[in-house]
Amino acid sequence: MALVEIENLSKLYKKGSQDVRVLEDLDLVVEPGEFVALMGPSGSGKTTLLNLIAGIDRPTTGGLVVGGQDLSRLSRSQLAAWRAGHVGYIFQLYHLIPVLTAYENVEMPLLLLPLSRSERRKRVQIALEAVNLVDRFDHYPRQLSGGQEQRVAIARAIVGDPVLIVADEPTGDLDAATAEQTLILLKRLNEEMGKTLVMVTHDPRAAAVAKRIVHLEKGRLVSAPSTPGLPLTRVVAE
Amino acid sequence: MFRFLPYILKNLHGHRVRTLMTIGGTAVLMLLFSFVSSIQEGLRKLTDPSERDDRLIVFQAYRFCPSVSLLPYPSYDDAIQKVEGVRDVLPIKVVVNNCRASLDTVVFHGVPPDRLARVRKLQLLQGRLDAFVQRKDGGALVGRKLAERRGIQVGKPFSIAGITVQVEGIFASDQPAEESLVYTHLNFLLNPQPGHHQDLHVTMYEVHVSDPARADAIAKVVDQRIRDKFTVHTETRPQKAYFRQAISDLVEIIGFTRWLGIVCVGVVGVLVANSVIMAAQDRVKEHAVLQTIGYSGARIFGLMLSESLLVSVLGGVLGIGGCLLWLWWKPMTLGNEGVSIDFLASPALAAWGLGLSTLVGVAAGLVPGWQAARADIVSSLR
Repeated sequence: MALVEIENLSKLYKKGSQDVRVLEDLDLVVEPGEFVALMGPSGSGKTTLLNLIAGIDRPTTGGLVVGGQDLSRLSRSQLAAWRAGHVGYIFQLYHLIPVLTAYENVEMPLLLLPLSRSERRKRVQIALEAVNLVDRFDHYPRQLSGGQEQRVAIARAIVGDPVLIVADEPTGDLDAATAEQTLILLKRLNEEMGKTLVMVTHDPRAAAVAKRIVHLEKGRLVSAPSTPGLPLTRVVAE
Repeated sequence: MFRFLPYILKNLHGHRVRTLMTIGGTAVLMLLFSFVSSIQEGLRKLTDPSERDDRLIVFQAYRFCPSVSLLPYPSYDDAIQKVEGVRDVLPIKVVVNNCRASLDTVVFHGVPPDRLARVRKLQLLQGRLDAFVQRKDGGALVGRKLAERRGIQVGKPFSIAGITVQVEGIFASDQPAEESLVYTHLNFLLNPQPGHHQDLHVTMYEVHVSDPARADAIAKVVDQRIRDKFTVHTETRPQKAYFRQAISDLVEIIGFTRWLGIVCVGVVGVLVANSVIMAAQDRVKEHAVLQTIGYSGARIFGLMLSESLLVSVLGGVLGIGGCLLWLWWKPMTLGNEGVSIDFLASPALAAWGLGLSTLVGVAAGLVPGWQAARADIVSSLR
């Protein structure tokens, strides 16, 4: 059974009195254990598609089923609860909470779950060990480098053991060396921990880490491969 | 919600200047509110008509200031004692250091010491009653609040308004207003000349009646009896009514301060709301991130509300606590025409103030909390 099933999905935004069509009649299937890169020029709808898959935005029309759950049928609060249990989100700019330590940032999603303090501690330790940041527990974001901040953000995304991890240009704000380390980490999450990843990126080198590339243009999937040698997505062309 | 407390506290600490200024402002306003409420509580206690009154005050008719009420003694004393229903009479010579409204009025009540012991339930905290009774050349019992305010000690002399007394005891009373008085011997304040056989003058007579339900009727009989026998007429009223009349000007002003208290609470609300709105606006992205990782709108609302509540209650505790400490350390009394209104900071007042702080905290957090909870995640992340 597919983890993500998208069918005839469209997304419109209101801009003043105008309707802006960001995604149009889009179909996409992501199988469990896949690592999919969403590529395309600015404004092609990559991040919108990612946000829809992550359940932080709603489609205007079409079907969107993630992990067997039709997201369009969930209320605002149900969607929040679903996100807490099923999705880990990695932002381009990390978005750590500045007043909390690395440990506390990673612990934040766990506070929503019925876990004891010791259970939470154990899970946070495992997540921070997975991103190789055990020696930075008590550091605040301002005391960390960009790469370390992103690793804390990745630990926050995986600490709840979600079925799906989405990443919005996770290397976009990092230097080349740090970006490479982050990509290796994401690859390990996919290959060693079996996590399904959907990643938005502009960078072909980042996309090369993925198992499959999905290319978007003007809100539609197109057939042009961005990196030779990588499998293309199933294309829906009208 | 307790598991989120470190996050709430760290956010408040993270913006500590703003937090401290809001808590400080709230504390100052709640301190002012508590002072206003404490004087209202003192006034209510002094003049509450619902409390049964078994005391009448006989004052010279058409006189208001104690210094101009001159009632002959002991002739009036004898006449009043003979009225049916009168249980006891306490002639009182009142001397005040300031007849007008003042925050530091010292009131001397010159009374026959044997009768004082009979009609007052004074609890002697320091000193000895027999020493006071025996000391006819200015022995005095000082009320606890006045002693604390003025640093008066047993065994030492105390001078004010041209009168010097020797402090023989410090007392507490179930009537808060009495704790701001100095009791001394009536003859000491009257200062009769040897061989003087004419009537001396006291300021008023305090009449204790057997049946409080008949107090008004007895008051009429007293005035009639005096009118029939003497030329200087009297006006007799229940004690609380007398207090209300004596401080009528202050009652109006104190009534007005109620509005000041309401304004204080309103400003606390605006201050806290402003702080929480700023916090919410500063953290638009942070709230969007929290929602992305699974925090519901209701949870975000709860977090903002808790922040607002914490700031408001903390400010309230400091302000109300400050007022209680202040009045414990230095009791305050507002006096006018020999009648004292105590600033009464009771546990009930503290509970009322804390309840208000809580309500204000909730009210102030509602709008910013709602806005934070309803914000669109995607737009906020942009």
